[in-house]
Amino acid sequence: MEFNLSAESKLMIKAARDFAEQTIEPIAAKIDGDDAIPDDLLPKFAKAKMLGMMIPKEYGGTGSTALNMILITEELAKTASAVYWSMALNNSVAETICHWGSDDQKELFIPPLCDGSNYAAMAFTEPATGSDPAAITSTAHSDDDYYVLNGTKRFITNGQRKGYGIFYAKDETEKVTAFVVDKSSDGYTCSKPWALMGLGGQGLVDVFLKNVRVPKANILGEKGKGFNVLLRWIAGERVQQMAFMLGMGQACLEESLKYAKERIVKGRPMTHMQGFQWMLSEMHASIEACRWWTYRVASKQDEGDEIQVDSAALKLFIVPTIQEVARKALQIHGSYGYCKNYKIERLYRTIAHAGVTGSSTEIQKTLVGSYLARP
Amino acid sequence: MDIVICIKEVPETTEVPWDPEKGILIREGIPGILNPNDKNAIEAALQLTEKYGGVVTAISMGPAQTDDALREALSLGVDNAVLLTGRHLAGADTLATSYTLYLAVKKIGRFDIVLCGKESADGVTAQVGPQLAEFLDIPQLTYATNIEIVKGNFVRIKQKLEDGFRELESPLPALITVEREINNPRIPPMDHIMEAYRDKQVMVWTADDLGGQMERFGLKGSPTQCLKVYTQRIKKGKMQILEGDGSMVAKELVQILRKRNLT
Repeated sequence: MEFNLSAESKLMIKAARDFAEQTIEPIAAKIDGDDAIPDDLLPKFAKAKMLGMMIPKEYGGTGSTALNMILITEELAKTASAVYWSMALNNSVAETICHWGSDDQKELFIPPLCDGSNYAAMAFTEPATGSDPAAITSTAHSDDDYYVLNGTKRFITNGQRKGYGIFYAKDETEKVTAFVVDKSSDGYTCSKPWALMGLGGQGLVDVFLKNVRVPKANILGEKGKGFNVLLRWIAGERVQQMAFMLGMGQACLEESLKYAKERIVKGRPMTHMQGFQWMLSEMHASIEACRWWTYRVASKQDEGDEIQVDSAALKLFIVPTIQEVARKALQIHGSYGYCKNYKIERLYRTIAHAGVTGSSTEIQKTLVGSYLARP
Repeated sequence: MDIVICIKEVPETTEVPWDPEKGILIREGIPGILNPNDKNAIEAALQLTEKYGGVVTAISMGPAQTDDALREALSLGVDNAVLLTGRHLAGADTLATSYTLYLAVKKIGRFDIVLCGKESADGVTAQVGPQLAEFLDIPQLTYATNIEIVKGNFVRIKQKLEDGFRELESPLPALITVEREINNPRIPPMDHIMEAYRDKQVMVWTADDLGGQMERFGLKGSPTQCLKVYTQRIKKGKMQILEGDGSMVAKELVQILRKRNLT
């Protein structure tokens, strides 16, 4: 069993930290407040070769590993910025196309995700369909060399931005098929972005598909087996999301330590008081546990192991753990922590997202429980 | 425009153990980072070669783990990397270090500019660059905040002084030490990091490879005797902010300073 990161991984962490501190952190509060990500930010991720981390170089990727992807995500997460989602989606959607796609699909759809000229989207959820995939109502009707898509997709990150997205619809056999859809197609429109508690700038919209014609060549994976595409993507995405939580948890601890060392109570820094020491030590222990489990699941992903249950159990553990870390960080900051002048306020709001997005914590219990109780 | 850069790995922490008998830092096993000022030297070299062409070679003296600093240099875009290491080179002061670097630069042979950071974050002597220039017998231009090539084979720098700046010019080849503010070092892209560790080589030279006089290497060749290494503890006091009319504040400040016998 090897617990040491390679020198290569350590340098990637350092590079990601420098990138986050120089490129994202100075504008993170503004992105959140304005609810808008500058257009020039994703190309900067591309220049740093952080998009397409797990994609072979022949398609414009970096050719690295899931573990390295997780390590850089952890550093970028410390900014608690919605920028993470654009980076994460370009990575995970490119990886999904790389896994399921034909050679033509890979050549056409992956390079624009790696060079930052396109924004990826993953569109499954519908107004009446969240955690009940069978209830999907979007349809795809065959018409010569095309499928004609109709329906509404809800909470689609970057649904309104240029590029391709993976959309799910029931075909003429009533089975769900995954399609790669050009977001500039005729009949493709979006709502205004939802106003979110945190993650300002994420650009979460509803997408309306009205007779959108998609070439049959854009079917991803096998016709009628879209769930396979979806479930595999969700498993990898969950690990990435948990690395996002992990990084934000670490940021909570670092902000709390900085505050508690400077804040003088009865003539001494807060860090001298046992009550606060206990809170800080509990935060540290929780984060370490989250860290090593996340690394472990990412390593299993690199080894080609199945991670459906692992990633669900990981999320089940990390979401409440890091949310408790954020709660303690807020308590340490006192009333200041409730002010937007302090970063902990943004961290707290952002950390709240993970229990309900990308499938809820409760759904993870069902997934893990049904696995454990299998015959 | 061929450039040699001298870089150093420095401890990531200020809490470094030291050998009381030899009076030197024990660097083995201590997590290290590329000396921040050397990143500016690398960036300056890359900007020059991007403009004028040429090859950039980074050299560093230190234990085996210094390989990481050189890999980082490679990931940033440096063409070649050389590690100077071995027991004969250990424990060197700035004189023995400069002597060793001098032999390495001579072995590399062709160069127009030798670039160094102004100083290292651990030693903070700012001596190695100037001493190396003396060994090489080339002009030294120190504390540069700007570098430009003029008249084909001359270099002009803007030198930072305590109370201002001045411009210096010299024929090439020359040695230049750079200040932190000369540039904003680039961040290595992820694929370059992978190439630095997987595809590129760090050449390793020992004292035997360099030639020279053995008694001038390492601890033997170091006249500096380090009596003690310690981290200075900074005592924090209470801060007092004086507010109001400027002249009144000045009077109040003088009274406070007198009361504390600080005038």
